Amino acid sequence: MFKDVKVGFLTAKSSVKRGNKKTTIFIIFVLSLIFLNLIFLPSLINGMMKLFVGFVQDYAYGDVVIEPADGNVYINDADNILTKIRSLNDVEAAAKRLTVGASLAYEQKEVGVTILGVVPSDEEKVSLYPYIVKEGDFLGDLSRNEIIVGAMIAGTGPGSEIYDNLGEVKIGSLINATYGNNLKKIYKVKGIQEGTFELTDLNALVSFKELESVLGIEGEHKASSIVIRVQKAGEEADVKSQILGMGIKDKVFTWQEKAEVLIKQATQSMSTLDIVSKIVSLIIGASLIFIVNYINTLNRKKEIGILKAVGVSPASVIISYIFISLFYVMMGIILGLVLFLFLTLYLQTNPITFYGSLKIYPVLELSLLMQSILIMITMSLIAGFLPSWLVTKESILDAIWSRE
Amino acid sequence: MKSEEPIIKIRNLKRHYKTGKVIVKALNGVSFDVREGEFLAIMGPSGSGKTTLLRILGLIDKPTSGQYTIKNLDVVNLPEEEKIFYRLTQLGYVFQDYALVNEMSAIENVYIISLMEDLSKEQSQETAKLALERVGLGDKLDRIPDQLSGGEKQRVAVARAISKTPKILFADEPCANLDTKTSRQMLEIFKMLNEKYGQTIVMVTHEDWHTEFVSRIINLKDGRITSDKKVYK
Repeated sequence: MFKDVKVGFLTAKSSVKRGNKKTTIFIIFVLSLIFLNLIFLPSLINGMMKLFVGFVQDYAYGDVVIEPADGNVYINDADNILTKIRSLNDVEAAAKRLTVGASLAYEQKEVGVTILGVVPSDEEKVSLYPYIVKEGDFLGDLSRNEIIVGAMIAGTGPGSEIYDNLGEVKIGSLINATYGNNLKKIYKVKGIQEGTFELTDLNALVSFKELESVLGIEGEHKASSIVIRVQKAGEEADVKSQILGMGIKDKVFTWQEKAEVLIKQATQSMSTLDIVSKIVSLIIGASLIFIVNYINTLNRKKEIGILKAVGVSPASVIISYIFISLFYVMMGIILGLVLFLFLTLYLQTNPITFYGSLKIYPVLELSLLMQSILIMITMSLIAGFLPSWLVTKESILDAIWSRE
Repeated sequence: MKSEEPIIKIRNLKRHYKTGKVIVKALNGVSFDVREGEFLAIMGPSGSGKTTLLRILGLIDKPTSGQYTIKNLDVVNLPEEEKIFYRLTQLGYVFQDYALVNEMSAIENVYIISLMEDLSKEQSQETAKLALERVGLGDKLDRIPDQLSGGEKQRVAVARAISKTPKILFADEPCANLDTKTSRQMLEIFKMLNEKYGQTIVMVTHEDWHTEFVSRIINLKDGRITSDKKVYK
């Protein structure tokens, strides 16, 4: 077997070294495009996912979130839980929130929104809400009758044209809120937040105390959720275990668990697109590698016959073609990675943009890279083996003199 | 000391094949022996079956019927793997059209055979170098076939065939593509291999003047032997 490998390597080396350079370059270039196709779209989708997951962490759920137990509307004894959670070693910060549905009206326009009641000073440590106020200021802990509205419902931000909005709300505008319990309030717009994401830009924020009073639960220590940030990424599961260990009856989720559900919903169509794209790439790639190798092998049919006639084993011939095929594919992968790098650098300065400012960058994960390399190598092994095996099965006379 | 026992025994060898609806009888009952150290020329007009015969002798083609043994071994019915190994270790074959691998240098074309015999790369290169020196190409080891003349290519093919010192060397019209001067040089090499190294050589040729180098001539016509005579010098 080792001698077959030695002979196979020698013939492959000679073929690559002294073969037609233009053909070699063309094959490698085509293979690099196949590889690029395999990694580019998935890495772009991955980049989009990362962005969405980032939003999920930075605004909705933090690293760990506590939600009411089944059948409950609120987390009871939220302040006590919050105190205990803040005392945990791995916890950086925690904040309670209230959530309620309402409709906002300004001049003749009305929209339905989710209003979030937040403790502004705590929110600075657990979310990015305080940092995305584009106009005006964020809420203070003592804020009453003040509201932060998202740019899409304010009618000022990117994407507002596709949603119902209040039509050019400005700082200081007075808007009417009608809550689910029919309570009506008038709020002065203190700030307009723009996170270029529906989760932030289609919502509104008031202070926790304000919402407690609206819901009539003042002094009851209730919350719709508790959002927690951990000290180091990766400690989410540990913190979740510690919280559950405290005997809390409410539901505890890590951001990964939350993102899994959300992303599954949000990316179903993307995943279909990704799978279809991958399958098409693979079929085209496999066919191309096979055709290139098959033509290459047929062109060398006589040479294969000669090698067999002088005593070179069919195994050596097949190994030689597998080596050649592997060489093309490895070079194609390297060139493909270089092209990907250039494309990534280009997209750093010219990112794909949604809603005017939601920037998507490709993110290539090691698992995707390894998977794509493995696919390419497998294809090359098959494409190197099959045609050469078929030709070595022919008789020497057929191979050398193409005898009918 | 040469054995009196024939190294090759051929009995009633036939090779028939179909071309369209016509059955061509390329060999139609050929029988002869070859003794060790003989330099045999197989001659005859085009279509007489000489190349078909040589291909069967070189285990490149199979007869339709008949017996063919080398040192009493029934080589025709060897399994394919063993046939390849036998061809590699015991036989040398020089093709009419050189049959070199174009992307390999002269020395690579030759030492690939020794590598296949499981010699190390260094040993294989040394063996190939010696073989190429024996055919006068010691100074053109790294040339690829495109950089060699017809005669030089044929000498590389001979070097490849003799590098492993095979028991029998088969040559299919080795001078067909060469001019008279180069042909003579080629035949001198065969004569030297035969006389100096005792190589058994079976050569197909259609040139009468080539017979001055050989020790025996078999003439074929229509797939049958018409004469078999020794050459006395």
